[in-house]
Amino acid sequence: MAAFWLTLPPAAEAQMEFSLDEVEEEEAKAAEKQTSEGDLIEELAASDDTASDSPAEPEPQREEIAEEIYAVQQIYALRLKRVELAPSAAFTLNDPYLKRYGLGFAMNYWFTNVLALGVNFIWYDWGTDPLSRGTDLVPRIQNQFRLGVPINDWQFGLWANFTYVPFYGKFKVRKKIFQWDAYLIGGVGLMRTQPIPVFDPERRSFDWQNNVAFNVGAGLRIFLTRYLTFFAEFRAYMWPDKFENLRVDPAVPEDSSTWLESGSTFVANTSIQIGFTLFLPIKFEYRLPK
Amino acid sequence: MTMCARKTLLRISLVATLAFGLIMVEGLQSDNTVSAQDVQVSGPLAGAPAVMNQRLWRDMRLHVEPFFAFTIGDEYSRSLIVGGELRFHFLDWFGIGGWGGYSVGQLDTNLTKEIRDKGGVTNANRLDLPTNDGYPDQIGRLDWWSGVEAHFVPFRGKLAMFQKVFVDADLDFFVGAAFIGVEERKNVEGVPAQPPAEAGISDCIIEGETGIDPGCVGSQSARSKRVVIAPSFGVAFSAFFKEFVGISFRWRGIPFKYNTSGTDNNRDGQIDSDDRLRQFNNMFTVGVIFTLPPKIKTTR
Repeated sequence: MAAFWLTLPPAAEAQMEFSLDEVEEEEAKAAEKQTSEGDLIEELAASDDTASDSPAEPEPQREEIAEEIYAVQQIYALRLKRVELAPSAAFTLNDPYLKRYGLGFAMNYWFTNVLALGVNFIWYDWGTDPLSRGTDLVPRIQNQFRLGVPINDWQFGLWANFTYVPFYGKFKVRKKIFQWDAYLIGGVGLMRTQPIPVFDPERRSFDWQNNVAFNVGAGLRIFLTRYLTFFAEFRAYMWPDKFENLRVDPAVPEDSSTWLESGSTFVANTSIQIGFTLFLPIKFEYRLPK
Repeated sequence: MTMCARKTLLRISLVATLAFGLIMVEGLQSDNTVSAQDVQVSGPLAGAPAVMNQRLWRDMRLHVEPFFAFTIGDEYSRSLIVGGELRFHFLDWFGIGGWGGYSVGQLDTNLTKEIRDKGGVTNANRLDLPTNDGYPDQIGRLDWWSGVEAHFVPFRGKLAMFQKVFVDADLDFFVGAAFIGVEERKNVEGVPAQPPAEAGISDCIIEGETGIDPGCVGSQSARSKRVVIAPSFGVAFSAFFKEFVGISFRWRGIPFKYNTSGTDNNRDGQIDSDDRLRQFNNMFTVGVIFTLPPKIKTTR
């Protein structure tokens, strides 16, 4: 009671000078009235006996309501507790030596409306000679600068990621309104790579090696329906990789322990991925507060 | 009289082409299969425009945009650019403008450093690489940038950031012509090595200079400058925070030919314009938009 009294503005205090007994009496009356009326849903669900009673005439509104009412549009598509399946194509942007293409698949579970946990997988190994996908920069570097270029082939990458949606909005295109969101993504996983023997291909051969990899990225998703979206994202996949040793030991060229560089080289594969996402279940319900 | 008739015919053709284009676009859009959210409103808002009290960020306003940019995907050297852009929008979705910038810094790529540290020099590649240490001096660089562009803003909307900050945003597509100040290695002709030396090139003759350049060392830092005219295009995402302030993230592509490595790329024993290779030069720009007049107009 004291707290209620303190929250009142000074003007209201001045107009309401009741004794404590009067206030308690008013509160009791209000409680009695509330019990008898109930809310609209309760009234509709009430038995026929109640319904057969002659309905009371609604009392005329005694005070003008000058309250501002805001119409807020519901979020077009909720992600909460939905699974997202996302096939995509990946194109590496920053490798000057090899053209690299991957097919990817991602699966996320949205445990809040803006936060998801998931995995993504990209397959890069299409059974072709990786050097056949080489750019014209490789022979230029070899011929013009007498410089060998160690190149690693990639098989696949697998990552566990968190996705966060800090931005969402809508775009108007003529009479259509497209909902979209922008997200940040990042995670950890592995990248499977293999050095291509260039400096001593007759003797050297390499197995696939697993590298711990990290990734960060940002993406844009446009909702075509409430369950189908088109997305484009920028991802930077990073890992420490082992490349072929540029030097061939003339004494023991067969010694496989000398085939790889002693240290690791930090590799950052920046790529663009485009694809579609499907949200499951396809339908969802809004649970509006009463 | 004939000229007048030709002009009239030309105008009619132009209008007919535009009308045909509009009809086609309208026709295609009326059979739209994309099922985005339709604005289907019943009740008091039926028939109301899709957006009421829409803020016209561009209509009859001047945009002044200082920016910082950097080139991406370069083989040998990246440019850091500081510049500005001026645009006037006759309509909320159309405007024209010009931009210019100066490369305040050049960052050599890892490949350039590798060549400097590990490249091999022989008579077989002397024209391409006279010395290791001097390699960064011979690569092509882009000194300044400018251009004129037409801007189209077909998509606009609003976005929420962290469900707290709400801003208007749009996508600005632009196309135009760019003028770039290119600095390349000067034209050089190789002098074949004389026996008993190994085959290849031992010295050079620099264009416009008399005498032999021993070992082509002088040619490595001899420079020539020219202006390239090239198409430019791109897209920008702009967000407006105040009536007269916004921010833009812009990607711009400018394809043109130049000799990025300063080498004899067609292997004809000389370095000249035939050695220029097509490069898809592109840059990423971050700019701050100031609009004039500062007061914004809104629709009904």
